[in-house]
Amino acid sequence: MRNKSIMFMVSLLLVLVLMALSLFVACPAPAKDKIVVGMSRPLSGPLAIIGDSAFRPIYETWVPMVNADGGIYMSKYGKYLPIELKIYDDKSDVGTMTRLTEKLILEDKVDFLWPACGTSFVFGQAPIANKYGYVLVTAEGGATTIKEALPSLPYLFVSLSFSDWYEVPVLAGILAEQGVKTAYVVYIADLHGIEYSGVFGIELPKKGIQIVGNVSVPPDLKDFAPVITDAMNSGADAFLCEGYPDQVLPAMGTSIALGYNPKVWLGGPGANFGFFHTAFGPAVEGVTCWAVANRKTSPAMKEMYDLLYEGKPEDVHDWWGHPLYWASLDIWKAAVEKVGSTDQDALREVLATTKLDTVLGPTWFTMFGDGGGLMAYESHTGEVGQWINGELEVVGYTGIEETLPNYKATADFVYPKPLWPAPAE
Amino acid sequence: MLVSALNIVINGLLLGGLYALVAMGLNLQYGVARVLNIAHGEFIMLGAFITWAMYTKFGINPLLSIVIVGPIVFIIGFIIQRTLFTSLRTSAPSQPAFEGSSMLASFGLLFIIQNVALIIWGGDMRAYSYYNFGINLGGAVFAANRLIALIFAVVIGIAFYIFLVRTRIGKAIRAAAEDPTTAGIMGVNINLVLALCFGLGAVMAGLAGVFLSMCFPIYPVMGLEYLIITLIVVVLGGLGSIPGSFIGGFILGLIGSAVSSWQPSLALAAYYFIFMLLLIIRPKGILGK
Repeated sequence: MRNKSIMFMVSLLLVLVLMALSLFVACPAPAKDKIVVGMSRPLSGPLAIIGDSAFRPIYETWVPMVNADGGIYMSKYGKYLPIELKIYDDKSDVGTMTRLTEKLILEDKVDFLWPACGTSFVFGQAPIANKYGYVLVTAEGGATTIKEALPSLPYLFVSLSFSDWYEVPVLAGILAEQGVKTAYVVYIADLHGIEYSGVFGIELPKKGIQIVGNVSVPPDLKDFAPVITDAMNSGADAFLCEGYPDQVLPAMGTSIALGYNPKVWLGGPGANFGFFHTAFGPAVEGVTCWAVANRKTSPAMKEMYDLLYEGKPEDVHDWWGHPLYWASLDIWKAAVEKVGSTDQDALREVLATTKLDTVLGPTWFTMFGDGGGLMAYESHTGEVGQWINGELEVVGYTGIEETLPNYKATADFVYPKPLWPAPAE
Repeated sequence: MLVSALNIVINGLLLGGLYALVAMGLNLQYGVARVLNIAHGEFIMLGAFITWAMYTKFGINPLLSIVIVGPIVFIIGFIIQRTLFTSLRTSAPSQPAFEGSSMLASFGLLFIIQNVALIIWGGDMRAYSYYNFGINLGGAVFAANRLIALIFAVVIGIAFYIFLVRTRIGKAIRAAAEDPTTAGIMGVNINLVLALCFGLGAVMAGLAGVFLSMCFPIYPVMGLEYLIITLIVVVLGGLGSIPGSFIGGFILGLIGSAVSSWQPSLALAAYYFIFMLLLIIRPKGILGK
């Protein structure tokens, strides 16, 4: 009797275990109905000023546009999946950003990671993305020093152009073609300014342009009169101010007030924004800056700008970073669709090896060994811009297409720059 | 050589006038209300942005904005003192405890005002051109808008000093600064006086913001940058001394201009050097008691 009962219990247990196992095996994977993308962004704090005007308007326009078409096609699931953004505020603090990035990866288990804001944040975020094998295509941030880090960061893909990638070489070509012989350089005393000053020092002499002044200014310098007076006294053909808007705008205002009219006046980053035009009006005529594209670059670029700036004030325009940030999302989407799943290694492989179409045209990454990559400068549609007839035009030099096949100069460089207009008041 | 010296002096005075105005406001708030207002720079930002908005949206002359900015920031300052800081003062066990808690509260205020500004005006940098042309004085060329700013800063600074010295309310403010308890016993409405002081301090910052917006680009997080320079000016002039702040502003402006003309990257370092030197040699400042 007892043996019968034991046999019954064992049989029952076996049946239950088999039922449970069959349920487990038969149960399909939970249906995936969206792609979750995580971001740590400076929604508050000092960097909000940059984040709000740089990458934020891009993803806030691009994601609804993609979702309106159903989302991204994922072959693994056989359907289009909409993108859902999960954004945390890092309060412009690198330490907070690194913690939030880990939270996004480990706790929220987001499908993909999108970038934080700024070069120093790229340096903080890239090793974390690398550690967990998450692809990171960056937006704001770019520097020659990133090149040194790229070989050890295979999941990092940098999108923004910068000094020797390939802005200053193009500028040097333009200035040389116009017959510029001397330049006066003002740069902000930080990593960004020092880098540009160094690249100016290499690229300009290569083209026979002598640097007659090389002055660093602290980030919070208020009075540019001594610097502008010194530049005026140098008699240089070109005045190159490499800072941020905090430096470029007062340098411009002081140049106008003191009647300093060099043949070339470059302000970057700062003069590439719409607010530079709204601040100075017709005085921007002939001012040079870094720029990648405008509406004349291509029909795709016109469509992007129309969508991005429709109903928005000119202040929010950015003719340098915006096309590259948009292209970074385009190339990411194209690569994800090619992979068809959230497989990060496969995604990395596609980004590292494939030429994909973006708003720039054919776009790819120049890889650094087995490490990460920079968006190839051959993909760029522009490097240098100039305000001409109230529009920011992309300018170049004769034969630039030989080096940069996507480059599209939309106007001829105006040299010398027109004099500042007579005061209206 | 003479032109260079003239350039340094004129540029120094032009910048110093604005520093003086901001520092007088902060000194009033600390000297009487005993609030080291870390959010003082945010009132500069508010004044600057209101002026920019009035000028670019409605074409209102920036100098006319003074009559709009003044009352707005005064009311904000007055209400903050009557609510937040009065509550902290009455609940604090001692004066040092109040000074500590009020400083921390003003930190919070800084972030609140800054983030509200970011929501309203966005993060972009703003600027406009107003009398931005050169004026030649003995070979030295400087911007007309900065000369206007200097004239107004000096007039407002002197008018404010006369107000403190000559009027009945000014005397009440000075009495409250000397000894608030005794002033209260003598019939001075301390809560009202402290709120007036805070409001007037905010007005000085707001008006400085009006003039700054005429000469420099503005952005929502600009306040903290100016606060640091203001603190140096206040220490230079003497904590609690309004004339000291006025003089200190011009001295710092001249030092900054002289150093900038020699080596721009050392301008801020020079400010801190002066700051440290003062703490060692004369910690109470030029006119501090």
